[in-house]
Amino acid sequence: MSEDNDAVELDEDAETEAVDADVEEEADTTEESTADAGAEEASADAETETEADAEAAAEEAAAADDVAVEGDEADEEATPFDDDVMPDDDVDLLIPVEDYLSAGVHIGTQQKTADMERFIHRVRDDGLYVLDVSETDGRIRTAADFLANYDPEQILVTSSRQYGRFPAQKFADAVGARARTGRFIPGTLTNPDYAGYIEPDVVVVTDPIGDAQAVKEAITVGIPVIAMCDSNNQLSNVDLVIPTNNKGRRALSVVYWLLANETLDRRGADTVFALEDFEDEL
Amino acid sequence: MSDTESRGTKQCVSCGIQVSGMNAARFACPDCGATIHRCAKCRKQSNLYECHDCGFRGP
Repeated sequence: MSEDNDAVELDEDAETEAVDADVEEEADTTEESTADAGAEEASADAETETEADAEAAAEEAAAADDVAVEGDEADEEATPFDDDVMPDDDVDLLIPVEDYLSAGVHIGTQQKTADMERFIHRVRDDGLYVLDVSETDGRIRTAADFLANYDPEQILVTSSRQYGRFPAQKFADAVGARARTGRFIPGTLTNPDYAGYIEPDVVVVTDPIGDAQAVKEAITVGIPVIAMCDSNNQLSNVDLVIPTNNKGRRALSVVYWLLANETLDRRGADTVFALEDFEDEL
Repeated sequence: MSDTESRGTKQCVSCGIQVSGMNAARFACPDCGATIHRCAKCRKQSNLYECHDCGFRGP
């Protein structure tokens, strides 16, 4: 039944196009006859024709310029991402800047802290602070260098944030680290009587606010803290910052994915993970 | 190594104070691997630190 209706619609479309084509042909014919009449009149007065041509050419040129300008504006509007996310466009990044933008790694918050000011590139019209993607890229490399110095089992990754749990766990699996996702049980780093007590040498946290307990215990035992910080985070008790959007699902997946691959690369491992491995199914 | 030298290697890179007690941290510079000491107060106040060898600025 529906197929019949589709067929009828297609026939109607075809008829409409045919009618449109006829109308266009008639319009062309009318234009030609008008042009012929205009040409005859122009031949009667050569000077008038020259002036008219010059004026018409000028108008056409102006119109073409307008169209070109409008086209450029349309292209700018058609660009899906605002690419003003770093001061120097010629920086060599780990992945194309479009991939960073599509994941929203550069998206900050509407609040900023003085600590994070040096990682902020600009503020958008809607009040969102935009993080410098080149800084994010550089800090991922730096953090990978840092983590490569440690025994994999002595690295602890934590994420109490829902969207960070899967990529954090995947990161831990990829580099051989330990992960504590969800609620961080107090005493994990400080209470030897607790069954889950561990003594890592470095802690990677997804958000210093959400993972405050892990940061607090890392400070108590005197181990360095690497933190993924958004524009609204304070850097208190953080030893190395990775400036990134730490609230987005895809942003966290991209950052953990890059960090895992770079860390493995520093160790000389051949394993390379795909971004899909770090993206949780919705 | 003398006491003076051993104390000198445990100076906070931010404020220069002798690092002692809990809550301080010692780690390798992320860029060059040189040892960096941070005292508890500088960590808590998120004071910037700079590696003496390579100039890396953190946190």
